[in-house]
Amino acid sequence: MAVAKTLEAPIEVYRFEPGKDAKPHYDRYTLTVEPHTPVLTALLRIRTELDPSLTLRYSCRSSICGSCAMQINSKSRLACQTPIGPEIEKHGRLVVEPMRNQPVLRDLVVDQASFWKHYDRIEPHLKLDPRHPMPEGKPNPMTPAEVARFYETPRCIACAACYSACPAVEADADFPGPMALAKLYRFVVDPRDQAHQDRLVRIQTDGLWLCLRCHLCTEACPKDVRPSERIRDLKELAIAAQGGTEPGSRHAIGFKENIRERGQLQEMKLVRQSDGVGGMLAQAPQGLRLWRKKPEIAKKPRAIDDLDQLEALYRELDAPPRDDS
Amino acid sequence: MRRHEVVVVGAGLAGQRAALAAVEAGRDVAVVSKLHPLRSHSGAAQGGINAAVGAEDSIDTHIYDTVKGSDYLGDQDAIEFFCREAGPTVVEMEHFGTIFSRAPDGSLARRPFGGAGFPRTIYAADRTGLALLQAIWERLATEATRFTLYQEWDLTRIVVRDGKVQGIVAFDRKNGRFEGIAAPAVVIATGPSGRIYARTTNAHSCTGDGVAAAYEAGALLKDLEFVQFHPTALLDSGILITEGARGEGGILKNSKGERFMSKYAPHVLDLASRDVVSRAIVTEVSEGNGFEGGFVHLELMHLGKERIESRLQEICDFCRNFAGIDPVTQPIPVYPAQHYMMGGIGTNAKGETSVPGLFAAGEAACVSIHGANRLGGNSLLETLVFGKQAGIAAAAFAAQAAGRPTVTDSDVDASQAPIRAMMARDHGEDPAQLRAEMQATMERYVGIYRNDADMLEGIKRIRALKQRYANVRIVDRSQVYNLNLTDALEVGHMLELAEAIVVGAYARTESRGAHSRIDYPKRDDARWMRHTLARKGPEGPELSYSPVAYTRWEPKERVY
Amino acid sequence: MRIAYYPGCVAQESGRELDLATRWVAKALGIELVEFPNFSCCGSGFVDEANLTLNVAINARNLGIAERAGLDVLTVCSTCQGMLTLANHRLEDPAMRARVDPALAKIGVPYRGTVKVKHLLEVLTSDIGLDAVKARVRRPLAGLKVGAFYGCHLLRPGAEAGFDSPEEPHTFEDLLSAIGAEPVMYRGRVMCCGFPILFVKPETANRIAGRQIADAKDHGAHAMATPCPLCHISLDSFQNKAQAVVGRDLDMPVFHLPQLVALAFGATPDEIGLSRHLVPTGPALARVAPSAGASPSA
Repeated sequence: MAVAKTLEAPIEVYRFEPGKDAKPHYDRYTLTVEPHTPVLTALLRIRTELDPSLTLRYSCRSSICGSCAMQINSKSRLACQTPIGPEIEKHGRLVVEPMRNQPVLRDLVVDQASFWKHYDRIEPHLKLDPRHPMPEGKPNPMTPAEVARFYETPRCIACAACYSACPAVEADADFPGPMALAKLYRFVVDPRDQAHQDRLVRIQTDGLWLCLRCHLCTEACPKDVRPSERIRDLKELAIAAQGGTEPGSRHAIGFKENIRERGQLQEMKLVRQSDGVGGMLAQAPQGLRLWRKKPEIAKKPRAIDDLDQLEALYRELDAPPRDDS
Repeated sequence: MRRHEVVVVGAGLAGQRAALAAVEAGRDVAVVSKLHPLRSHSGAAQGGINAAVGAEDSIDTHIYDTVKGSDYLGDQDAIEFFCREAGPTVVEMEHFGTIFSRAPDGSLARRPFGGAGFPRTIYAADRTGLALLQAIWERLATEATRFTLYQEWDLTRIVVRDGKVQGIVAFDRKNGRFEGIAAPAVVIATGPSGRIYARTTNAHSCTGDGVAAAYEAGALLKDLEFVQFHPTALLDSGILITEGARGEGGILKNSKGERFMSKYAPHVLDLASRDVVSRAIVTEVSEGNGFEGGFVHLELMHLGKERIESRLQEICDFCRNFAGIDPVTQPIPVYPAQHYMMGGIGTNAKGETSVPGLFAAGEAACVSIHGANRLGGNSLLETLVFGKQAGIAAAAFAAQAAGRPTVTDSDVDASQAPIRAMMARDHGEDPAQLRAEMQATMERYVGIYRNDADMLEGIKRIRALKQRYANVRIVDRSQVYNLNLTDALEVGHMLELAEAIVVGAYARTESRGAHSRIDYPKRDDARWMRHTLARKGPEGPELSYSPVAYTRWEPKERVY
Repeated sequence: MRIAYYPGCVAQESGRELDLATRWVAKALGIELVEFPNFSCCGSGFVDEANLTLNVAINARNLGIAERAGLDVLTVCSTCQGMLTLANHRLEDPAMRARVDPALAKIGVPYRGTVKVKHLLEVLTSDIGLDAVKARVRRPLAGLKVGAFYGCHLLRPGAEAGFDSPEEPHTFEDLLSAIGAEPVMYRGRVMCCGFPILFVKPETANRIAGRQIADAKDHGAHAMATPCPLCHISLDSFQNKAQAVVGRDLDMPVFHLPQLVALAFGATPDEIGLSRHLVPTGPALARVAPSAGASPSA
């Protein structure tokens, strides 16, 4: 084994005890570490060697218990899975802060009540129908292909790194967050669950369409669950189940129909398709404001060449739109 | 004072299964855990769960393999019950929602495991524990109105008066408050205590709190000297490198480049049983054939990038994330680490302990089905089978309990006063320092190879640490999430268990399963075919012994 | 270099100033933009929510058109960039291929998967190179502090986008430095602009935009710049709304990426449509230290 070079790592750690401290501050520690030393190891060394009052959640130190998610140089990460060397190399410093979007209890420990509340709200358990009982004394048959549909989601360790990274969670308390939605997806594709339709209908009004698709959750996820992709899957399943009942699903369907006509987006028409006539009126002052600077928004764009090709793709691959009335 | 009918301490697989059983029996249940249930160490189990459901397999073979694996120290009546429950348990977990890996015909996929006659281990990729933990929590959480979750509460004592359980005292990490929770029945399911050792595959939270509290409360601990060491843990962190790595063709090499297992197990080589491989590695290193720093190499490179990355994905991640090693191009530095405690709170197959009203299940308990050595795939099964039994028994006990248990203010104060004293000290012992010395002592003197002189030294050192613990100091005086306080409590618990382990090991003058003595290299059935029982006395553990239960299998030499 | 120019819908409609600036910069650097009037909308991250397979097919058709001409594709929109790139990756899934290929065959536009999709930011920083960009600068934007705002789909998912670091990118800041501006580092630069839910829950969308703008302002930015016209809609066209939701004056001019490059190359504000912005850009341009040549004004 090659002898790893050591480095002097300056580590700045967020310290705060609400109710006692007026405001947060950062304590600076310096440790000699190897480049691959995980941030968690360094924090635990701070606790044993320098300052036993430093407070954090941790348990397994092998990225399976989900306890030690925090912000490491502003990225939501598991401390046990993040080596120090590359962080110091890139930033010249290591700043460790609690997760975002959850109130701080003390130092790096946050109150996860809202995270768990959203998790509970998606009803994360198999919902059964007495008319379709489980096979008695036998496991349900399930093919490897069926299992493959939700192969990634059970890897979730509920660390909340995605919840911390999510700008929709930050901006809107109604958004369930990436983890809860990825977990919902896991039940919606589970052939044993008997409530797929109900779940999909309910989530349409319970925040599904607030996902921004910024994919920050997918970058933060330490287990490659790719929540943003699972949310996209859910949206498509919700539309297939119910059609466009909400502004979000209406917008997606409206957009699809919109570009079918000319191959190009017709911006004004989209507002009507998504918001309806009432929405149009509500948007009128803003529309007028935009129109003064950008008058072409009121006009129809040119149609693309070979529009018939596009139409053929729609005919081949898109089922007729549902009647939403 | 809070009041429930059944208090379950620990919310891993055993604790949750116990809680579910007690809830289903109609009892008012409290679940007390220092971690959120989904963060329990059960989730770290990778391999799988044994059930002889294959057409070619049989329950009798599973029983026999388990009896033999235990080096004949397992209780055969309990093992028979255990193996018969395996199939229904796995089906139940599937019905609860566990996403198991599947065979092409849609049945549960099975893989071969060490010490088993047939491919018997049902699995969920390489994260079976996590899959089961999610499913049991999903199921239990549907009963949310019927139990109370005390999340991130630390157990400090089990209150027993007039020989009867009264409840527990615990403190809430969020605000530092100590509170009594009264109940006629308490189930201890706090899992492992591997952090007694310096090198362990266990999580930091595995500190044996419930086992120590039961010991303190007068319960008998059983067979603590049997400590399983896993041969291949990552050098620095002790993170487990699963047996699957050798199953896929990985080989162990010493610093001379020799495939040294050919000396120790010429037939099965690197796939010999855990105790054999662990002892081989320790021998190589102590004879000067290890690498500088004291380790051997696990080589995967010859398997090729594609195979390593597809079959051993988690291992790749571990090596890259936690050791800065790429197993595709570099050997993995490994050394054995503590992995599993065969011993624990002595129970029967119903989870009953020696104290009326106190029950135990999972790794915290010792039924015993693992005897002197546990087989892979049997621990996940144990948590569910005996968690359920303990829950049923505790619920029945609570339903019939006469009188009204109470946890008094003075019971609470008995836990809180020492903490106040630890916080009031201006000078005193650092709990982290005591922990480090305890871990080094156990590693050095009560490790894989044991002998009389080492263990005497170990006893002396652990007792010296216990004396120093009387002057332990908590520097952090905050009431909120005070980990310095938690450290102090946990070290206190672990020192008690460490003493019981080494005293029991010292007394057992034979080698059996994981208890391997250089000075007594042979199994001695005439003298030692019996369980060690430890009761806490004023001068330390007081040992007694109980017979092993036999049904059909006569002891034989254990050869693979 | 020759490249298939994929302007996207917005640059041909409400964001025409982006198209103007792109053509100006391309001309200045000798990039030949090959136009394909048969390119369609990329789906904008909405069509795939309704029908993923259809969306992949639509973009496979776009890419097939470029492939037939033997050209890579240039985008000027983070979202177009992301959608076309994701289509390339999703076509690696044999099941997706099996659904899309027969439809493409029917319309006679097959796609083998060989086209690379590049955003203008990548072309400027990698193909042209920062040295060449620097050499073309006539009026360095000295004194102008600019907060780069990347737009999600240019960067993420990182495994597919493969452009810069998905959470800690630097190319845009490198480009800003090359044209003499002073890049401002702030957390919001890699966050969402709120646009995707502008029609779902406008107040939340405006709040998200407002936070990123406020973050840039609090870190000293005089202006923001974005490689995405959808971000531009959220940050500029709806800044008045964002301002109302976050409850503070923002007054943050927001440039399209090629506008700033064009300005540094010597373009006049009129040539690149600065008057079409909702938030006036003049105050920001007034901060540019005078140098030899005409001082910009808007």
